[in-house]
Amino acid sequence: MATETASVKDQIREFILRDLASAKGVSSFSDSESLMESGVIDSLGIFRLVAFLEETFRVRIGDEEITHDNLKSVDSIEAMVTSKLKK
Amino acid sequence: MAVWARKRSITYRELDQRSTQLAHLLRQRGLKKGDRVGIFFPKCVESVVCMFGVLKAGGVYVPLDPQAPADRVGYIIENCGIRVLLTNKERRAVLTAGTIAALDYCVMTDDSGSNGSGNKVVPWSMLGEFPSDRAPEVVLTETDLAYILYTSGSTGRPKGVMLSHQNALTFVEWCADKFKVRSDDRLSNHAPLHFDLSVFDVYNAMEAGATVYLVTEDLALFPTTLANFIETQQITIWYSVPSALMLLLLHANLTVEKLPHLRTILFAGEVFPMKYLRQLADLLPQVELFNLYGPTETNVCTYYHVERERLAGMDKLPIGIACENTEVFAVNDQDQIVNQPGEQGELYVRGPAVTYGYWADPEKTKKMVVPNRFQPNFNENMYRTGDLVTLAEDGNYYFQGRRDSQIKSRGYRIELGDIESALLSHPGVREAAAIAIPDELVGNRIKAVVAAHEDHELKIVELQQFCGTIIPKYMIPEQIEFLDALPKTSTGKIDRVSLAKAAPANDLAKV
Repeated sequence: MATETASVKDQIREFILRDLASAKGVSSFSDSESLMESGVIDSLGIFRLVAFLEETFRVRIGDEEITHDNLKSVDSIEAMVTSKLKK
Repeated sequence: MAVWARKRSITYRELDQRSTQLAHLLRQRGLKKGDRVGIFFPKCVESVVCMFGVLKAGGVYVPLDPQAPADRVGYIIENCGIRVLLTNKERRAVLTAGTIAALDYCVMTDDSGSNGSGNKVVPWSMLGEFPSDRAPEVVLTETDLAYILYTSGSTGRPKGVMLSHQNALTFVEWCADKFKVRSDDRLSNHAPLHFDLSVFDVYNAMEAGATVYLVTEDLALFPTTLANFIETQQITIWYSVPSALMLLLLHANLTVEKLPHLRTILFAGEVFPMKYLRQLADLLPQVELFNLYGPTETNVCTYYHVERERLAGMDKLPIGIACENTEVFAVNDQDQIVNQPGEQGELYVRGPAVTYGYWADPEKTKKMVVPNRFQPNFNENMYRTGDLVTLAEDGNYYFQGRRDSQIKSRGYRIELGDIESALLSHPGVREAAAIAIPDELVGNRIKAVVAAHEDHELKIVELQQFCGTIIPKYMIPEQIEFLDALPKTSTGKIDRVSLAKAAPANDLAKV
């Protein structure tokens, strides 16, 4: 299911770029870099990201799952979403 | 234990020895009393070593926002003549070649760089070669500068607020007495170190022999993680902007059972919405709550100890009464000191907490740090805050608004003119206005209205990215609207009032 995985990642990356990063003046980031440390995602951005993930992928993300480990980079967000989709 | 950060800690002995070694290194390489030293890396235990190291060497430290664009950091380095930078490999890499050329050398806290005397990139491990038992001899008085904090400036460049040892001590000594900080206390440090809230966290912890826990972005942005951190580290005194507390309140499922150690919460930097303050007060009945108020130029000058029994009937939280060793008063439009309840005036501050002014900016200093004309016997200065306040029957002051276009967002102080001048420096922009849109959670969100030059097609993303090279991320407009021309008042100025009215709070994406 490589194509499906790629498209989840693409959608996540595109949302962060379009809806979060550009408003912070950031035009590019790698899939592995920490989006919090570089300031691409701030405290409000996190909840917009979670709302986007829940809506787009029809998954439920609890408050206790909103952690740095799960959300720090495009790679880690994708890993969390795909593990939920498999369930 | 003195400092904890990112799962590492240092003891008081280590902090003392390391900072003494750093002081010797700085002195040996030519640092003189009053020389400025930049601190530019994400906060970690070395941050506190650096602060004390610079002070022990007789220097003045300048904490730089690790997320600020290279242009702004470069400006500050040039503006206050920083020749020595305490940094790391990753942060140093963002600086322009011109900025690096202006520096004599960098000390690398991540131990990058190479050994050898006379090199420009000094690894942290070099500290080991310097004595750790006795700090260098320097003659300082408390009227010497300790640090410079840069805040948003209305003309597009940040301004450096000069704080002396006395300015800091006035605040720290008052806090020590007021909040009874003890050696078994555990203080959080939520604010960035370039933000003056951190002065309490770091120095009051050190003053009491307590421990300060530096809250880094992997904790700060995640409410559940942050609540767990407060619980497991048994934080006893918390200090932050209200928006950080609201995030905890709304998303972290706080309970009093989880936070039995927490005894005091201080907040400052913006107005705490009453609705959420009442929730917080109900949720944590054992915790004492204090609203602290004061611009960076005075650190904190008034405070209000929240009276729970009054909260239900209060529609606005007071900024309270003056701190010890500080006098505040409001001056009305007739230049008289306000003494009638309900009357409005601009808040003035006098006493040893008041800054000397802005680094290398005598004009701005003259406008804000003015001779005390209400007292004829000797020369002294007072600071005019630009904040409009009223005095209430009960003796408390209430914040009513600003004289100018300074706003707060997430506790950050922002001059709208700073944003406008960033926008106007884009070659395609003819006119620009930045507007604050009130927001319950973060205080204000920022919108810009822009008119482009005729032959220019502008894109929102392009302008935001352009701003990102000039101003910090928290100042970049979330939303940009394009108009053919900006509305004007009868005197030909941009009509901000009508622009603000045309920008309802709900036209920004809501959380």
